[in-house]
Amino acid sequence: MTQPLLSIDDLHKSYGSEEVLEGVGLEMEQGDVTVLIGPSGSGKSTLLRCVNRLTEINSGRIALDGQDVTGTDTDVNELRKQVGMVFQDFNLFAHLTALENVTLGPKKVLGMDAADAEEAGRTHLEQVGLLEQADSYPAELSGGQKQRVGIARALAMDPELLLFDEPTSALDPELVGEVVEVMRDLAAEGITMLVVSHEMDFARSAASDIVFLDDGEIVEHGPPEQLFQNPTAERTEQFLSRLHAHEETA
Amino acid sequence: MAAILLQTADWLFVANNWGLLLGGTAVTIALTVSSILLGFVVGFPAGAIEVYGSDRARRLVEQVGVVLRGTPLLVIIMILYFGLSISSSAFVTATIALGLRSAAYQSQIFRGALQSVDDGQLEAARAVAMSRFEAIRHVVVPQALRRSVPGFQNEFTIVLKDTSIAIVIGIGELLTTGQNLYEGGQSTAALEIFLAVSLVYFVLTFATNRSLDRLSDYYAVPEGTT
Repeated sequence: MTQPLLSIDDLHKSYGSEEVLEGVGLEMEQGDVTVLIGPSGSGKSTLLRCVNRLTEINSGRIALDGQDVTGTDTDVNELRKQVGMVFQDFNLFAHLTALENVTLGPKKVLGMDAADAEEAGRTHLEQVGLLEQADSYPAELSGGQKQRVGIARALAMDPELLLFDEPTSALDPELVGEVVEVMRDLAAEGITMLVVSHEMDFARSAASDIVFLDDGEIVEHGPPEQLFQNPTAERTEQFLSRLHAHEETA
Repeated sequence: MAAILLQTADWLFVANNWGLLLGGTAVTIALTVSSILLGFVVGFPAGAIEVYGSDRARRLVEQVGVVLRGTPLLVIIMILYFGLSISSSAFVTATIALGLRSAAYQSQIFRGALQSVDDGQLEAARAVAMSRFEAIRHVVVPQALRRSVPGFQNEFTIVLKDTSIAIVIGIGELLTTGQNLYEGGQSTAALEIFLAVSLVYFVLTFATNRSLDRLSDYYAVPEGTT
């Protein structure tokens, strides 16, 4: 059996007295695209943020490539070179152009020289269809363009795993498609992605696994066709029917 | 009334001694620049400590700031020069007094600017594997410095004008030069001399503010959501 790229075991996380994750376990192989769904407050984003340690866990185990993620002697900056993140609110560096956003990490963290970083950066911008906007500042871009720069910025570090924290939920509906399309391309290229999203289109067409999280627990876990068509748990079914109802009115 | 007080002869006196006033102006500029620089070198880290420092460091910086901001500049200068005699050079003493007082105010300008940068910026920088220090340095500080310019312009103007307080320890800056002209030269020209002195202060503050406006336009980035 090959070693999973990411393995999460019995993860617990509380904020004060409120337990957000109550013993979550998850495994991902290289090339997997796992989509986390679940009601708001179910702990999806917290789970994601534990993987690159933007949030510290209370107990449990996370391993990336067999390496302990959460140990006190783990170098978080080394870990984060392997794990890219795309944020709900984009969080592009406001004082830098699209290209500079993409090249800052490679230059400052990976020690790439400016010319190499720029060349690679342009390739990544091209990959998300934004080469022409290379010299634009974030405030000059649409939401969908910002998020695509956010994706290029994460790709530029050449990570083993990409985390997406509700990448389309801050977008106007008509801009969702362009971001989903880029994500679908990445999935097709075999990039390992852990995605918090309710974008059913993406989940159906690109996910290898769907994980339904509710109240800090994984209720159900399976390939999309199984989970969407024949959910075994009642909670999953209820959640999915609410989601469908919402999609149809939207 | 002003027409009677403003005498042609007195203006000629000012014009004839223009060189002396310019010499005083040069001292004023030197004192301003050295004080602002000292204020920046001390005030910027102080502001950063107030935002990012440990509890203990933060409290210490805050308390020193409160004392400095709560003491009149004139009193600070007198304590340093006559009370503690920290330097035999009046210029050095005035620079330290003006510089520390400015540091106490500049720290607040930078503290506010650093705090105004959205936390998501720091988080995104950490997520591309920058250390906390790198993230602050490459992502937060460049944005905060831009936002500091308006506050810094105010501070520059205040320091420039407050260099005149150095008259009490006998530095030959602009106001002292004017005072000497009036006392040792032509006492009827007081109004003309001090009007000329005011004009120089005004031109200096106006010119620096305009230059800083230009600088801030040059480094401006489009504002909006990121």
